[in-house]
Amino acid sequence: MKNVIEAKGLKKIYKMSKTNIVHALNGVDLNVEEGEFTAIIGPSGSGKSTLMHIFGLLDKPDEGTLIIDGIDMSDLKDKEAYKLRAKKIGFVFQGFNLIPALSALENIMLAGKYGGMKMSERKQRAIELLKLVGLESRMNHKPNELSGGQQQRVAIARALMNKPAIILADEPTGELDTKTSLEIIELMKKLNREDKQTFLLVTHNMEVAKDCNKIVEMRDGKRVS
Amino acid sequence: MYTHNMLEILRNLWRRKFRTLLTIFGIAIGIFAFTVMGSMALKLNKMIDGGKKYITGQITIAPKGTDFMMGQMGAMLPVDTLNKIDKVEGVEAVTGGIEMSLDEPNPDDPASMSFGIPATIEGMDLKTDFKNRNWETMEMKEGRMIKEGDPDDVIAIGSTIALDKKWKLDDKVKIRGREFKVIGILDKTMSGPDSYVFMSLDSTRELYVESNPFLKSLKEQQAQAASISVRELASLPKATRDQIMQAKAFKMEDLSTMGSVSWKDGVNSEDVANRIKDQFKDEVIVLSPKKMGEEIDKASAMMNAVILGGALLALLVGSFSVINTMIMSISERTREIGIKKSLGASNRSIALEYALEAGVIGTLGGLLGIGIGVLLIVVFNNKMAETGAEIFLLDFTFLLQVLIFSFVLGIVAGIMPAIKAAKMKVIKAIREM
Ligand SMILES: Nc1ncnc2c1ncn2[C@@H]1O[C@H](COP(=O)(O)OP(=O)(O)O)[C@@H](O)[C@H]1O
Ligand SMILES: [Mg+2]
Repeated sequence: MKNVIEAKGLKKIYKMSKTNIVHALNGVDLNVEEGEFTAIIGPSGSGKSTLMHIFGLLDKPDEGTLIIDGIDMSDLKDKEAYKLRAKKIGFVFQGFNLIPALSALENIMLAGKYGGMKMSERKQRAIELLKLVGLESRMNHKPNELSGGQQQRVAIARALMNKPAIILADEPTGELDTKTSLEIIELMKKLNREDKQTFLLVTHNMEVAKDCNKIVEMRDGKRVS
Repeated sequence: MYTHNMLEILRNLWRRKFRTLLTIFGIAIGIFAFTVMGSMALKLNKMIDGGKKYITGQITIAPKGTDFMMGQMGAMLPVDTLNKIDKVEGVEAVTGGIEMSLDEPNPDDPASMSFGIPATIEGMDLKTDFKNRNWETMEMKEGRMIKEGDPDDVIAIGSTIALDKKWKLDDKVKIRGREFKVIGILDKTMSGPDSYVFMSLDSTRELYVESNPFLKSLKEQQAQAASISVRELASLPKATRDQIMQAKAFKMEDLSTMGSVSWKDGVNSEDVANRIKDQFKDEVIVLSPKKMGEEIDKASAMMNAVILGGALLALLVGSFSVINTMIMSISERTREIGIKKSLGASNRSIALEYALEAGVIGTLGGLLGIGIGVLLIVVFNNKMAETGAEIFLLDFTFLLQVLIFSFVLGIVAGIMPAIKAAKMKVIKAIREM
């Protein structure tokens, strides 16, 4: 199987002051195979988000190598990063994921714009994706007219827009109630099963992590399993 | 190049109606001032241009001692001198003319002596081949200029005369005891011609002779003297004979208080003026077109400084409110910028989006400011039209330029905040979520 992510010896240091240095990542190796659903668990402050940001090309490691979808990111320039990000990566964050001024449909279409999709194509694909997440009847609603669960569904649809190599979901259910959380996770699992969409999910919930292909546990900037 | 969702921009502005409105007002005030001052300057420039055309269309000659500003007119310009000036190199034609004050001096009412250019009768030789170079281009507000073949009792008047005397087109008016008909009123020029009554030279000469006791008696004597034969003359005593000879020699056509000189095509008018100045410096003063033109240009430069000042004011007031608003918007929308960047938006795209938003604010402010400005101008112009002194010129091209200016102003003011937004670290934006 092909690796979507190959990370070796990733280190990230935050220098708060001369004496206060935070080793957010302290040598992390991680491979994510294509079509896999991987869960990352670990206590708060263990470096999960930092890792996700580096995988999402939003941040750079101080040490280590990173290959995404066969492309070495070691000496990636900022100017190339945003293009790769648009095409290869889909993000789902904890909450308030959507642009308030835009409708559900427009939020999804926006990703297509940055991904270089044609205008005519954008709308068609966005409507398809809204159907896929079961929100076609809400496509003209603004984020504040949608429930938290519905907002995250739109965010997932948007992450799928450019057919990314991987979707990075950093505690996407952190602000949702248990029932809604499970619905959202189930949606992602379904996308993984049926469309072979690769997912990397950060979660607190062991229930959620249990039936994933792989579970990665982090502690103090290191993998412990 | 990214095409930005104009709808998103408008919605973002709409979501913050109150603040957007305040910003728009800020710009509108500046643009309003710009519109109004600019339209006024345009009008003044146009007026001045009219006066300049007249003044620079000829070389004007006056007898030594004439003070144009104080209106000390009346000294005579000898016909001999005019004939000699005609021979100067480069001169095409010379014509004598009479300039005299419109009103009879009233020693009991010193208040009638006003500052500035006094109301003046400008005697025009309509039969001469002399042409003021820009004569035909003088703009008339109503009616037309007097021309060859007109009866002796028609006049055209400057705008100040029309205003002060309340003379209207087709009015029959009395000047120094004689009746004239107004057949034309000139556009305001902010200069000499505003205070002129343009009259045929013949009529002016008659009024001039009437006003001067010496000339009056000379003219009366001339009629008698003409009937005295040469033989009779020889028998008279010398003193009487001289007096009669003088009366006989008197010719109405030779009476001039000023001269107008035109120059040949292709000749530098300044050279001609200087030549006349050199040769006749003891007899006449010469007003050269170029010097006069330069004086006028200085005045226009002032007007243009007013426009520029207005623009700068608008720029200052407007851009501060735009910068302030954009900085606020951007700090509020940190999250949004983070999301967009995580979706793959380039720095350029983010910067453009915010700059464009500022440009839209600028344009809306511009539209409002121009709207209020135009409204005020129309109201004022209508009010002033009754007195014939409109002070604003509504020029579509200018208004369009102001609108473009307000758009650019928005963009320019928005650039710094927009770049700040674009450079924002995504992680920081996302961690704040
Ligand atoms: N911008 C930053 N400046 C300083 N320290 C940071 C910054 N971002 C993260 N950290 C620190 O790095 C460590 C890992 O953080 P994070 O990756 O967010 O952990 P998690 O997502 O697992 O809770 C934490 O100790 C956190 O305080
Ligand atoms: Mg985290």
